[in-house]
Amino acid sequence: MKPLHYKSLLHITRNVETCTKRFYQRQRLTNAAVQKKRSELFSKEVKRQAALITDVEKIEVKYHGQPEDCTLIMNKSMSTPFNCAQHIGQAILDRSVLAEVNGKVWDMHRPLEEDCTLSFLHFRQPDPYYVNRAFWRAASVMLGAVLETVFKDDIYVELCSFPSPNVRTGSFVYDVDLKRPNWEPRKEELRTLSGAMTKLSLSALPFKRLEVDAKLAFEMFSDNQYKRAQVPHIAAQGEKGNSVVLYRVGDFVDMSRGPLISNTSHMGKVSIASVHPIKVDSGELLRFQGVALPKGFMMNHFSFGILQKRAEQLNTGRVPSIPIIGDIGAKPQQLSAAK
Amino acid sequence: MAALRKVIGTESIRDFSTIFSNLTISNVNTSIARQLPAVTQVRWMSRMKVRRTMPPFWLPKITRTMYPENITPENQAFVSEVVANEYSSPLKAVPWERGQWNEKVRRCGVIARKIGVYPMWKKDGTKLLTTLLQVSDNHVIRYIPPEDMATSYFNKRTGNVAGLVVGADSLDPREVTKEFNSLFVESGVLPKRKLTKFIISPTAKLAPGTPLYASHFRPGSYVDIRGITIDRGFQGVMKRWGFKGLRATHGVTKAHRSGGSIGGGGEKARVWPGTKMPGHMGRNPRIIRGVKIWRINTRHNVIWVHGPAIPGEVGNYVNMYDCSLPTRKITEENHPPFPTFFQDEEEIEEELYDEDLHLFSDKSISFAEK
Repeated sequence: MKPLHYKSLLHITRNVETCTKRFYQRQRLTNAAVQKKRSELFSKEVKRQAALITDVEKIEVKYHGQPEDCTLIMNKSMSTPFNCAQHIGQAILDRSVLAEVNGKVWDMHRPLEEDCTLSFLHFRQPDPYYVNRAFWRAASVMLGAVLETVFKDDIYVELCSFPSPNVRTGSFVYDVDLKRPNWEPRKEELRTLSGAMTKLSLSALPFKRLEVDAKLAFEMFSDNQYKRAQVPHIAAQGEKGNSVVLYRVGDFVDMSRGPLISNTSHMGKVSIASVHPIKVDSGELLRFQGVALPKGFMMNHFSFGILQKRAEQLNTGRVPSIPIIGDIGAKPQQLSAAK
Repeated sequence: MAALRKVIGTESIRDFSTIFSNLTISNVNTSIARQLPAVTQVRWMSRMKVRRTMPPFWLPKITRTMYPENITPENQAFVSEVVANEYSSPLKAVPWERGQWNEKVRRCGVIARKIGVYPMWKKDGTKLLTTLLQVSDNHVIRYIPPEDMATSYFNKRTGNVAGLVVGADSLDPREVTKEFNSLFVESGVLPKRKLTKFIISPTAKLAPGTPLYASHFRPGSYVDIRGITIDRGFQGVMKRWGFKGLRATHGVTKAHRSGGSIGGGGEKARVWPGTKMPGHMGRNPRIIRGVKIWRINTRHNVIWVHGPAIPGEVGNYVNMYDCSLPTRKITEENHPPFPTFFQDEEEIEEELYDEDLHLFSDKSISFAEK
């Protein structure tokens, strides 16, 4: 049999692509269905990675902090800083937002890999720089979760990305393709969004971290044109070169460099302040902006009103430059990564 | 009587029995005694009780729970700066049309604070006591057009009246509830401690945010002052109703200041509603009419009004209106500034005196030897 010429191979693959495209176009995409698919793939991968650990090895974790320094014997690749805090005490467990493992900032629910030194970070410490950044980042992720669930079923929301967290800009941000660029929300609609954020906070859902292969990430985000274009570039920037860090909160899965706070219950007063249209290479996106305080930080309505007014102004964070779909040859530096 | 006469005149027993069966008590007593009333007795309030201890439920709550916010001193100073800058210009950019005075028109009033009592002397040497009322930080908060003015059974207002909500003495917006703060967004002023609605003619309307000063009035004019009287607490009949009490001696046992008898007996053998007895006295809203203004200081916004008897304690708020008495009518020649005196635009002297007042800078008053 004559060997197939590469051109004919290309012809076949292109046809398959158009066939699948036509199939999916017939099926109306809904955010709920896509979320479910992503969440199921995430759960499957969690199980698979857990099954890889056959022997339970022990590691020594040297804890430094309140109420006293101690050494904990924990399980390698299974125990998390959250588990260590459970051994230490309720007060530490409740207030801890991030962990510091061997000098690096670490998620509370991320398994420990080796012998390490451990301490916990919280909102009220003298210099909460990393905690503030994690909080702002988590606020963006939560905003993404809310935006995927709060719109009507006939609107397919495609999340694009959010810039690196910068509290000084006055707001946390998520850029979204709503396919209606002229949408100007009323005050009641913004209040509904803020209410959804508060509801998510009250659900007290943990942020679960998972490092996955770029191929799996591409499959998970195949229904989102922006995310699937970002996957190869984020994977290339990672430590291993082909893995992407994912976070799940509830049913919502998103890419983020991390670290994030441990639980949505750390979110206190939150207000989605405004929506601004922004121009990108491929079209127009909507920039959703909000401002929030951690739980337990009380502020009178007037002072918080000043923060809200500031958050209404257009955020000067980087506008995403989305690659044209299929342009895999573009350099990583040109593209934004969801950090 | 007529029935009895009938009995005497008849001969048959049947007639006798029918006549007797027709005899009812009311028939017998018609001419002897008065008929008892057919309706049950109705009791009512002794007087219209207008003293309120709690504000109505539909008013927004003013104060909020204060909790420690742990804001850094730099941030606190910044927020104070924002408060100062945001409320620095009370007047709105577009001024409202100013009405013209006419005989029938009714002007806005002011909210003043009683700050003390001071003697003054007239040019003929007579001493009089005056009460000092300070018009502190008054701003118009809201204009209520005639179509929005409520009409009720007890308060029939025919057609052409409008309302002006005026506020006095500012509060920190951080210390009050958001709902209360939102009342002042339209006027752009700081939230106020005291709010009053004045009934005005629509031509006397003022834009929200307009400040009101003591120069709203003039010396020599007359005002009505409404205030809450001093709370005297539970008082006996002698102080409360002016009873004479009983004798100090001659056998009176422990009843020297009591009210004595409280009823008459007989047919109306009960205590009548409204019987004067000991009870709570004071803290009632009262209006005193026709109070003369003797002096005004426009720098400190103080008005000297006649007499020491302005309702309320020193430090309490009173409402001041143009006098409604027919003998104190305002005429074309002596009408006060209408709709108000815009002190930010026009010049006025610091001290304004009534012409009958003796100033200490004048020559001493001298009397001719008799």
